[in-house]
Amino acid sequence: MPLSTENILEHLPHRRMEAWKWTDVRTKVRGKEQGLSAEQRLDITCGEGIVVRREAQPKSESVMGKFADNFIRAAMVITVPAGFKSRTPVVIIAQGGGHARIVYKLGKGARLCVREVYESLDSVFSNIDIQFELAQGAGLTRTLFHNDTAGTVRIVTANINAWAEASIIQHTLSFGGALSRLETRVASFGENLKADIHGAYLLKGKRHCDMTSSIDLAAPGANIRQSVKGVTRGRARGVFQGKFHVRKSAQLTDAKMRHDVIMQSDTCEIRSKPELKIYADDVACAHGNTIGVLDESALFYMRQRGIPKAQAEALLTEVFVAEAFDNMANNTDFMTRISTWLEENS
Amino acid sequence: MIKINNLTATVNGGQQTILNGLSLEVPAGEVHVIMGPNGAGKSTLSYVLTGKDGYDVTGGCVDYFGQDLLALKPEERAAAGVFLSFQYPLEIPGVPTMTFLRTALNAQLKARGEEPMAAPAFLKKAREIAKTLKMKPDMLKRPLNVGFSGGEKKRMEIFQMMMLEPKFIIMDETDSGLDVDALRIVADGVNVLRRPDHCMLVITHYQRLLDYIVPDRVHVLAAGKIVASGDANFAKKLEKEGYDIYAA
Repeated sequence: MPLSTENILEHLPHRRMEAWKWTDVRTKVRGKEQGLSAEQRLDITCGEGIVVRREAQPKSESVMGKFADNFIRAAMVITVPAGFKSRTPVVIIAQGGGHARIVYKLGKGARLCVREVYESLDSVFSNIDIQFELAQGAGLTRTLFHNDTAGTVRIVTANINAWAEASIIQHTLSFGGALSRLETRVASFGENLKADIHGAYLLKGKRHCDMTSSIDLAAPGANIRQSVKGVTRGRARGVFQGKFHVRKSAQLTDAKMRHDVIMQSDTCEIRSKPELKIYADDVACAHGNTIGVLDESALFYMRQRGIPKAQAEALLTEVFVAEAFDNMANNTDFMTRISTWLEENS
Repeated sequence: MIKINNLTATVNGGQQTILNGLSLEVPAGEVHVIMGPNGAGKSTLSYVLTGKDGYDVTGGCVDYFGQDLLALKPEERAAAGVFLSFQYPLEIPGVPTMTFLRTALNAQLKARGEEPMAAPAFLKKAREIAKTLKMKPDMLKRPLNVGFSGGEKKRMEIFQMMMLEPKFIIMDETDSGLDVDALRIVADGVNVLRRPDHCMLVITHYQRLLDYIVPDRVHVLAAGKIVASGDANFAKKLEKEGYDIYAA
């Protein structure tokens, strides 16, 4: 039964829920309930050999996916045959508002690149729930670019189920929105998962970006590398919640998580919660979290050589953020966007 | 020329006076040396002249080729030709040496209203200077000073100095950490920049550097001001007798 305008807010996550305490969707959309029930049309392009269909799907497991299920009847299902290999990425461009669900099914040994662009043209509410099913030996390379208008509320939830020998390479660059959460949830059901999950957010004004992740390991031999870099200015808020859940069956896990932030104003805000739950005894798990400012000595050194302060700050910030994208096959687009942002906001 | 008149400066928000009425004149074309006991204010003088935050000038003035040096920002002083060879050169991870230096050079040229140096000309000049200083080619490809030995960092300072061709050079203990061969190479690089319209201030603890860079004047800095001066031979006397009589 469709939700009424009156009770729609009750189904949205809010600050009294532990996982959403720093990203209060309910409060942010209060008074704008009319825009919460639409279905979103996504612009999807993909190369030959990939099948895209619109199909009814089982209900989503995620909080915002369940919310989306109230308003949409079908998901876009993208099927990638076993052994498929292509350099042509699937490109998803989301510029409008509303709800959408996408389900990817990668067959055994398939290799897929997905490029997601979240760039609203107006102030909208957008909620996209994505499911990835990675069969044995499947490889997913996922790149997310996010740059919404200052009034947009954006939630993207990716649930990735990975079977034996699967691999994930994910890079995210976000310039935030009024409220945004780019969430990645990985569950391993087979051994030797390899996942590199990296990202950066650069926020100004009153923008908000939440990079939440949960890696749930239930099989041995996983190798996880995660790093998120943040730069905040003005009254912006950056949120990082990273969780490694290493179950008893996930012996020989090697997992590392980092979140490093440079705060460039007295009024910006960082909320960070690294979380390790380890039940296996033969594992290496680590997390690190740092928050600081640009190195004053390095800034003076650069200025002493003639580089103006704003340019020196931009250069140091750029190299700090660039580390998140060091192992990208091609990071030119991201680095250009970062340097442009720094140039425009210095 | 640079003329420092009755300069006083504090650190720690004014709680500690480091320079205490320092006066010094370095005419164009001359090399002057500052020696003195630890804590006398030698490095503070270099930071005050280059405009580092945290060093507050509370009195006096500095005339730099007719300009009020203290009114300029650090980058403006650099563009006007002031160069500090740091006692402890910074490592800047992620910034390739050549990118850093080209950015610096072109920023200075822009500030002076000159055309930027094109990449081929810049590379040619860099290669020639690196060869003169006997620097390993891979040093120019690495992030600035990252993984360099102490001596390599000092050599990199001289490399930058020769690339930027400043008018007023301050060398803050550039000789420390250098072996004899490196010292000679560095000194040769410095001597190339001795020109009639340039001047230098060399801060050092040791006379040995002055065997290669022969100064016009040697000054003793103690308790924040110049307390004695002499010619090139004065350094040998200081090394032999120490600073006790000046620090008293």
